[in-house]
Amino acid sequence: MSIKLSSYALAAILGLASGHVLADVFVICNSGTQIAAGEIKDVFTGEKQLAGSTKLVPVDNGPAQSAFLASVLKIDAARYGTIWTKKSFREGLTQPAVKSGDGEVLDFVRKTPGAVGYVTSQPSGVNIIQKF
Amino acid sequence: MKQSSRMVQRIIPASVLVLMTALAGPSQAQTSDSTRISELEKKLERSLELINQLSTKITQMEKSVTASTTSPAAPAQQAAKVEQLEKSISEISDNLSRRATDTGLPMHGFTDVGLASSNEDQKNVLGVKGRKGFNLGNFDFYMAPQFGDRVKSLIELNFEVSRAGAVTTDLERLQVGYTFSDAATGWVGRFHTPYGYWNTAYHHGAQIQTTITRPKFLDFEDKGGILPAHTTGLWLNGKFGTAAGKINYDLTLGNAPALSTDPANTSLSSLAGAGPFSAPLKNGTYAGSGTLDMQMAGALTHRTMTGFNISFDPGAAEGLRLGLHGLRGEVADDSVDLNRTRLGMFGGYGTFITDQWEILGEYYHFRNTDVSGRTGDHNSNAGYIQVGYNTGLWTPFVRYEQTRLDQTDNYFAVQESGRSYKRSVVGLRYDVDPKAALKVELNSTRKELGPKVVDNYPEARVQYSIRF
Repeated sequence: MSIKLSSYALAAILGLASGHVLADVFVICNSGTQIAAGEIKDVFTGEKQLAGSTKLVPVDNGPAQSAFLASVLKIDAARYGTIWTKKSFREGLTQPAVKSGDGEVLDFVRKTPGAVGYVTSQPSGVNIIQKF
Repeated sequence: MKQSSRMVQRIIPASVLVLMTALAGPSQAQTSDSTRISELEKKLERSLELINQLSTKITQMEKSVTASTTSPAAPAQQAAKVEQLEKSISEISDNLSRRATDTGLPMHGFTDVGLASSNEDQKNVLGVKGRKGFNLGNFDFYMAPQFGDRVKSLIELNFEVSRAGAVTTDLERLQVGYTFSDAATGWVGRFHTPYGYWNTAYHHGAQIQTTITRPKFLDFEDKGGILPAHTTGLWLNGKFGTAAGKINYDLTLGNAPALSTDPANTSLSSLAGAGPFSAPLKNGTYAGSGTLDMQMAGALTHRTMTGFNISFDPGAAEGLRLGLHGLRGEVADDSVDLNRTRLGMFGGYGTFITDQWEILGEYYHFRNTDVSGRTGDHNSNAGYIQVGYNTGLWTPFVRYEQTRLDQTDNYFAVQESGRSYKRSVVGLRYDVDPKAALKVELNSTRKELGPKVVDNYPEARVQYSIRF
């Protein structure tokens, strides 16, 4: 377990230290959920709320967020915040919760139907939508 | 292993001590030699027996310790223990996470304060110029409680300062919805009427609005607007993708607004009061005194207003949206003449919004019919175009807006803000941080009050707005 924690911590530190340059980003979803790679942006900007009959629950990964925004959504954190302020104000949607790191994201995505998140190391027990 | 060695080290001296005691004890007894020897032999036997028992136990313990460290089952047991620990930690983490995020219902909002200098003629009084100095804008907050996967709501409350300086409260939105799919969400309650782009995109969100002012004709019902900015009723909206892009739509059905008149509070001077109004309005004294009432408590009649808004976001031009919109319903006033007008608005709009550019344009054409008198049909129109360019923290912007409103149309003639006007706006926005903006805006307005009665006035405004 200590090895696991160390690798998460190391990933988090590397993520913080290197910004979005070095980190791989694996966009993942719950094993019972099907999301196409082309729908990732819509899910994380509130444009897509349902996959079939399942409510989608996107979550952000605090240490990996800047890498995700830069490499996947192609926007910065300020723009991301503004998009969600407008979404929330106009449509009553809630901005994705921010998890503390890969471990918490993986755990949440594994357990929650409709959950969509992203991690920086090869995950297991979830569907990998796309690696960036 | 270390533990068993320590036990051996402790047990052996104890056994020797027991043996020595056993051996020494009889020497102090005053018995015969044979009896003493016999007793000593018995004690020695018992002591040896005890030592054997202890020795056996030590051997067994050593074996069990060795087995526990070398048995093939050990890794499995350890893994199970580690898994159990991980599960416990995960549960603790879940609980902590729940505690960290479950902090009640999130509440967001906007507020703004400002400084203005206006040369607009004061209401009723030509030549006496308008307000100057610091002012309070809105304190608007909203929340969006979710009830399960499909049921949601949006509640917005706004505190604002009226032109008379009083603090007023508006239940801006109170809508409860159900999401059928991404292509259809139904709402019931009071909501922002989805015409054009501006009204639903910005509304009271001063910080997310590039400029300080809204286009004057799109202002709120009690602030100079000529359309119902809110509707109480049903709203169906959604979006769906096509190969060429995304289609968005809104359909509404709600209480038709009414015009509440207050003859003592007309916006027209005696000079402008002789304007080209219809005969009833010329004879009456209520022209320019009406404001739109949303009838959110229900109405005395079954008059309804329907509306639609459909737009297309082409995939080939990200940021571009082109749309059509319309409103139709019968609007009555509460004057002695009980005028009724069938409002018919149809128009189009386009927006182009990227990280750098914000280009907005909306057009409204009115074909209103007097259904209570003989003034017939009336054509009017209104529109604006605004361009802003974001250079990072700075966003310069310009806007031109214009209305041509038929004053023989009772719908406009009765309204306090129903006069035609032209306005040019220029300004600069500075983003202090992602949640705070400082804006400066200058505008020049030409408002037609009546035949040969025009109010030309400039305004300068500064606004500091935040969101939370």
